[in-house]
Amino acid sequence: MLRSCKFFAFLSVCILLLTTTALAQDEGLKLTGWPYEVDVVTENLGRFTDQTGHDAVFLPFPSNEYHDKMVASFVAGTEFDVAYVRDSYLAEWASAGWILPITGLPNSEELLADLPQGIIEQMSYDGEVYGLPYYSGVQTMAYNAAHLEAAGIDAPPETWDEMLEQAQAIKDADVVDYPILMQLRSGENYLLREWETLTASRGGRLFDDDFNPLFHLEGSAAWQALDWLTEGLDAGLIDPASLTDDDGTLLMAAGTTSFMTTTDYTLKAMNDPEQSNVAGDIKNALVPGTDEVRSGTWGYVRLYAITANAEDKDAAWQLVQFLGGKDATGVYYVPKRWALEFGLGFSPAPLYEDEEVRNSISGWIDPDLLSEQSEYAISRPYRFVPFFSDWEIGSWGPLQAAILGDADKGQVLSDLADEWNELKEDWGY
Amino acid sequence: MKQRARIRLVVIYIAAAIVLAGTVGPFLWLVSSSFQYERQLLNRPPQWLPNPIVLDSYREIFEGAVMGEDSGVPYQSRIFLRSFANSFFVAGSVAVIAVMAGAYAAYPLARLRFRGRQVLLFAILASRLIPALSLAIPIVLVAKRIGMSDKIVSLVFINLSFILPYVIWLLQSYFKTIPMELEDAGRIDGCSRLQVVHKIILPLSLPGLTSAAILAFLLTWGEFLFALLLSESPSSYTSTVVVSLFATDVDVSFVSIITAGVLSVIPPICFALIFQRYIISGLLSGSLKG
Amino acid sequence: MSQGALALIFSAPAVLIIAATILVPFGMAVFLSLHNWNLKRPGRERFVGLENYSDWLSDRDFWVPLQTTFTFAILAVAVIIIISLLISLLLNERFPGRGVLRALLLVPWAIPSVVNALLWKWLLNPQYGLVNAIFFEFGIITEYQNMLGSMPSVMIWLVIAYSWIHIPLATLLLLSGLQTIPGDIYESAIVDGAGIWQRFLTITLPLLRPMLSIVIIFEMIFAFKVFDIIFVLTAGGPADATNVLGWQIYTETFRKLDFGAGSSIAMLLGGITLALAILFYVFLDKGVEQ
Repeated sequence: MLRSCKFFAFLSVCILLLTTTALAQDEGLKLTGWPYEVDVVTENLGRFTDQTGHDAVFLPFPSNEYHDKMVASFVAGTEFDVAYVRDSYLAEWASAGWILPITGLPNSEELLADLPQGIIEQMSYDGEVYGLPYYSGVQTMAYNAAHLEAAGIDAPPETWDEMLEQAQAIKDADVVDYPILMQLRSGENYLLREWETLTASRGGRLFDDDFNPLFHLEGSAAWQALDWLTEGLDAGLIDPASLTDDDGTLLMAAGTTSFMTTTDYTLKAMNDPEQSNVAGDIKNALVPGTDEVRSGTWGYVRLYAITANAEDKDAAWQLVQFLGGKDATGVYYVPKRWALEFGLGFSPAPLYEDEEVRNSISGWIDPDLLSEQSEYAISRPYRFVPFFSDWEIGSWGPLQAAILGDADKGQVLSDLADEWNELKEDWGY
Repeated sequence: MKQRARIRLVVIYIAAAIVLAGTVGPFLWLVSSSFQYERQLLNRPPQWLPNPIVLDSYREIFEGAVMGEDSGVPYQSRIFLRSFANSFFVAGSVAVIAVMAGAYAAYPLARLRFRGRQVLLFAILASRLIPALSLAIPIVLVAKRIGMSDKIVSLVFINLSFILPYVIWLLQSYFKTIPMELEDAGRIDGCSRLQVVHKIILPLSLPGLTSAAILAFLLTWGEFLFALLLSESPSSYTSTVVVSLFATDVDVSFVSIITAGVLSVIPPICFALIFQRYIISGLLSGSLKG
Repeated sequence: MSQGALALIFSAPAVLIIAATILVPFGMAVFLSLHNWNLKRPGRERFVGLENYSDWLSDRDFWVPLQTTFTFAILAVAVIIIISLLISLLLNERFPGRGVLRALLLVPWAIPSVVNALLWKWLLNPQYGLVNAIFFEFGIITEYQNMLGSMPSVMIWLVIAYSWIHIPLATLLLLSGLQTIPGDIYESAIVDGAGIWQRFLTITLPLLRPMLSIVIIFEMIFAFKVFDIIFVLTAGGPADATNVLGWQIYTETFRKLDFGAGSSIAMLLGGITLALAILFYVFLDKGVEQ
């Protein structure tokens, strides 16, 4: 026993010495984010160093815990100069003073002029823009064309009611148990976003431009959306797993789901023969609407922002420009590379016309339908107030209860509206 | 009598088989999945055995560890095995230090009569009652202020302070089972308290000390929250952090996560296999007779 | 030297390690719990005394999750204790292959939590999950179910997944407790004609009581703080059915960045757990000493 202990103690000391000596101190810019294609990012940074002379290193953290990791890092005084930011917590980080606005910095006007207004809105808080886009896109609908064919359906649904009819036909034809998957799980990537898609495509919104709730009004699009969910769940057409599942992409790839609304880039995995059992069968279509409204959706942005702790702010801004805008030669080098080689959605207008980019994504998604879809995107300014997440977290449980029929919808919605109004007043909006 | 012994063994092996199926069964699914293509994991009904056997994820992890950037395998796979060194250092040091410091702290709590004994006992435990999540940010803040963030030594300290209370409680309870007469005999022979601990208590508590060491090693090996929050660069990532790096926002490499999980199980199980032979009975009864 | 002074010297290293790492962060958490402290409103922090506490105590968002926490903890601790007691009794028998079985038993605990979460997500998946496939094969269900979709099945499966991970720890500790029971006591009981059940009740259980109480207290502490498995499998849903206090603390602290609310609820949870631990200790452990 004692010998083993000594052995382990010895080993531990050796490893400690090894690891501490291996700790090379890098001077220069530190970029953090989630670990998507780390080597490509590092390669891009190499180009940045060549062009500007600033050293830069990419130190990623796990995607699922990225937000929490960064909260701790910011509170303690972060090491990082530039960080990836998801639009869903832009307001939070900006209101806490953790990231800096880029409005007014050199070249910013010119770079922002190339971006669609919707994208700029989603990078803004309190009238200032906080970064440049990494990738962006819209929520669209994915469907399994083979399932539709097997049930004798020749075109994807154009309205939500039609979707239920088609789902019934698919179910009756014994193709799958539950044709529709809706992402209704608790969590910022699920329930509220799905509700927004369902509401937008009925021509409605959850809040007006002055941040007043609309969802609780009798007969509102948001209310109808919940009714539709209840109807679909009760009829066994919407998968009950919708309430807990956290990765609908997998169910589509498994071939056990026929319809879902999803982020554009997920179609790539669904149509990848290595990851999907139904590669090639998954197509995109416009999010269904109603008899009056053809479709509706919303966009998302991932952006690069300068942290408030950045020591050399000029260099950090240069890096943000390089990553989210143009490089020293004046071209959108990094955004184009992501679009071309990895199919990530791009925002700068010059890239929309780039033939190379269009061709590269058509293997797994229909680019024309996708750009048509983005025309239906609504803006969601209410997401960019600091108390939105407080309200959202409290809404998941009651909304799920309302959808499941465990609670009265009208009551739940008016309670949620009251809570919102209370928060709104409390925060002085 | 022979008949009875045979029946006993049969009953034991049947029970053992049930236990094994329950505990290791789900793990075998992980092992099987690690040799499959990602899409095969989505088959319905599930694919029980890999067909064909796909070694890609293992190859990537080993090739990446040996050849580094020249191997052309993804970053996460490349740094995974290297993070084992950090994990092993942290878990190993915590196990050794926790058992040593814990044993000395447990002895007075088990054997000595002094004021505030119960208070000390519960004060030690109370440090573990507040969920780590709400201590996390203060700890990160303090670590940063005193220049201890991004160092794996800090992880040793954090884990030690989280595991020591369990070890102390465990050992004080264990020490209480050692008959007082043995200790009194030692004292009469002129042993000091320290000698009593070294010559009587510790040797007789080998099973307890071993359990404590295994407990410390395993809890630390699997620790994720602080390993993530205190690290700022790959040099201080532990294996649990690297395993989570396979989820990238845009895609998730499930087979790689599973493979990394299967590999992560090996060191702690080896640790347990080496040490668990000290969890043996009869130490006490033997010494009483002698 | 007095016993008190001795106790001080012996326990100093361990207590210092714990205090050095925990004391300041703990103090900060207490400090935050007495303040209105929302990171999204810099410059508006202010002392509010016990207001956070009284807010929680008059809020359904505290009492309902508390109830859920209790339900979960009671079920989980009961399952863990009963099963690990049975397994440790089995492993306490002498039979060839025991050592390997003991080490393999630790496998669920050695799997990194990220992978464990993935494992259970996959096992319980309503479409390609193994549990559905197995139940379907054996005719237990006639169509695939969503195990996590509704009460009570979501709670049952959470308890099963959680217990699966925690049983190895409890078994390890109970086993080391069983080793302290001298074999000759059993031998004389057999001579007296005591049956297996009688021996269990009159010898094993009373002599195992100190360790059993420790294991119950440990498992209770773990179960009251449960978070990981909820985070991955249900995120508190469906319809708040699995919204436990651990989850509540997480959302308040990391999602709403309301450190005042998050810390105060953590203090309340810590207080409740401490009270329960003392209660258990008095009932279970004290009985033995006297």
